[in-house]
Amino acid sequence: MSVENLLYQGLIGLTNGMYLWLVAAGLTIAFGVLKILNFAHGSLYMVGAYLGFSMYGEFGLGFWSSLALATLTVGLLGLVLERTLFRPLYKLDITYGLILTFGLALIFSDLVRILWGGVFLIPPTPAALVGSFEILGRAFSYYNAFVIAAGLLVGAGLWFLLDHTWWGRTVRATASDREMSGVLGINAGWIYASVFALAAAVASLAGALSIPVRVVTPGLGTTIIIQAFIITVIGGLGSLRGAFLGALIVGLANAYGVLLFPNIELFLIYGIMALVLLVKPEGLLGERQ
Amino acid sequence: MNVFPRAGRATVLAIAAAFFLVTAACQPPEGSDVPEDVAEGEDGTADEGSGDGACEIAGIDSIQIGGLGALSGAHADYGAQMEMGAEMAADEINEQGGMLGCEVEIRFMDSELDPEVAIGNARNLVGEWGAEFLVGVDSSGVALALAPVMDELDRVLVVTHAATEKLNEEEIYANDHRNVFRMSVPVYQDAVVAALIVAEMPEITRIANIGADYEYGRTAWAMFQETLSQYRDDVEFVAEAWAPFLTSDFSPHVSSVMAEEPDMVFSTPWAGEAVALIRQAQQSGAFQELEMWWQAMGASVDVLEAVTPDVQADAFEGKLWATGRYIFNWPETDTNREWVEAFQERYDRLPNYSAQTTYTAVNALHDAVEAAGSVDPADVGAELEGMIIDAPAGEFTLRAEDHQAVYPVPAGRVVYDDDWGIACVCADLQVFDTEEYYRDPPFEE
Repeated sequence: MSVENLLYQGLIGLTNGMYLWLVAAGLTIAFGVLKILNFAHGSLYMVGAYLGFSMYGEFGLGFWSSLALATLTVGLLGLVLERTLFRPLYKLDITYGLILTFGLALIFSDLVRILWGGVFLIPPTPAALVGSFEILGRAFSYYNAFVIAAGLLVGAGLWFLLDHTWWGRTVRATASDREMSGVLGINAGWIYASVFALAAAVASLAGALSIPVRVVTPGLGTTIIIQAFIITVIGGLGSLRGAFLGALIVGLANAYGVLLFPNIELFLIYGIMALVLLVKPEGLLGERQ
Repeated sequence: MNVFPRAGRATVLAIAAAFFLVTAACQPPEGSDVPEDVAEGEDGTADEGSGDGACEIAGIDSIQIGGLGALSGAHADYGAQMEMGAEMAADEINEQGGMLGCEVEIRFMDSELDPEVAIGNARNLVGEWGAEFLVGVDSSGVALALAPVMDELDRVLVVTHAATEKLNEEEIYANDHRNVFRMSVPVYQDAVVAALIVAEMPEITRIANIGADYEYGRTAWAMFQETLSQYRDDVEFVAEAWAPFLTSDFSPHVSSVMAEEPDMVFSTPWAGEAVALIRQAQQSGAFQELEMWWQAMGASVDVLEAVTPDVQADAFEGKLWATGRYIFNWPETDTNREWVEAFQERYDRLPNYSAQTTYTAVNALHDAVEAAGSVDPADVGAELEGMIIDAPAGEFTLRAEDHQAVYPVPAGRVVYDDDWGIACVCADLQVFDTEEYYRDPPFEE
């Protein structure tokens, strides 16, 4: 196995890692602020994929407009979910949120089946991203390169938003002490709503990004949420950097697993998760309470 | 930066619990997700036919046929097409007076490609609903698990898709689970036909596998290698990558086998997974480097519908080869043409092979029940053994020894066809005699 091929496989793992990162980012942010462990987060990815498909593949909107619209729509859906269903849960035990979002995941799965049917869907690759370029002596698709760039850009955007804006400071303040931030005049309710809308929008973006490459099916949300949970366990729940690191680890482990350990490839990420739980149960970048 | 409050041990435990719940959600409990009962569907099946008390079998009003198909996820169209084929056959039978005067009812349940779920559903369909016969089954693993269960349930099962040769060679022939029949071509089609074609393509010497990581994919790759090695000693099997059910990202698989610079990829993921796989392979430039991509079940209609725009744009450079367990454009007989037209008229889609095989299975059950004069599994089974069947796929025998339908299906290149208005296996069609590629009882090396 040449070094070029090893590095190339890393690029493939990085691409997958970007989808996972976008989903895990929202999951970790929503938990960090709302204390909601959102089972239905994968469903938001799935709804983003279906909306993206309809807008781009059926209604003929451009790919870029479809990406933006699907992201905004699911962001709004997140806002509505937070204001109506999650709001009463904040004073209750975390398990209530688990049960609610678990139910939501099942409802979303059946809803898309009713609205879009059970058969998988896939639109054409957007014309601007058809084809490949040479890297490390092999062809790498423009689309994958675009996904990597999009993932990194969203990551930079999230860090900027949370670290360098007034909104980000109020989010962090609210996350660490809701009552105190209320005393300081912060409207925690709307902070919560905006955080969840953002988390939903980012998951939806990942879903919409995936449509020209992966098929859209009703079970989509469940598959991705499992990986997102693994990522947050590995990286540390509530840690955005942890989610990024975890997504890279899982993405790369998948890719190198297929290449180097084809017989234990599935076990690999579970093995890594188990190891992290044994050695650092709060996650690689999580902090002990 | 750790923007948010830290996760403690309790949270980690909560995540672990959440994780297991989500995993469990992947496999809903037995008997869940029962699709609409076709007999009560809007086509009014239950009201048609001979449901007027003329049923000649004492103690029942109708003959129920239970179906087990993949009705969810990327493989869902297979189950849907099975249901369409079964529904069409049942309506035709009912219009002709039913089976022994009894109305035929169909009910499908989602096997979820999981042996435990499928066995639960089989028990449910027989025990709760009162199914006299079962048809369907997509997954090889499910078919193997069901074979002994059919003895216990004492019902005939006609498999209409699952392909492992272990079903007819071992479970039916060697282990004597005589209640099981198969109306669809086994993995001989996927593997031996591929080997016979590649045997005549000297430009192909390096072959890689992207396999479905379960019984079907494993047995297909093994049989392909074994067969091709009998014809060629200059081929090398250079790489393997395995993808389990529910894989959505195949790019690591494509990348890892393409690193070995193969001339051909032998590929067995199917349905939506096949579409994602070849789209990802195409995007990464694999078709420019290969001579041939063999997508074993690429001739299924769901796959052909999905790849049509890419085929029209020549994205696969004419190198995509496929076969199926029946293709709608072959054989060119009146029976087939008329059936395809009737199917299109009814459903506004072309029939997939799972529709054809299930349609044929329900009709064969009708003929066997009429000939036996009963629904007793032993009597009906005896009629099915060695039955000559005239189906859209051609006229063939349901081989008595291993209960296997023996009929050929072509393989060829996937091209766009103006007349059909869809990508199809319509170029370089190669049809082999069944003697050339079916293994025969007693299945000794």
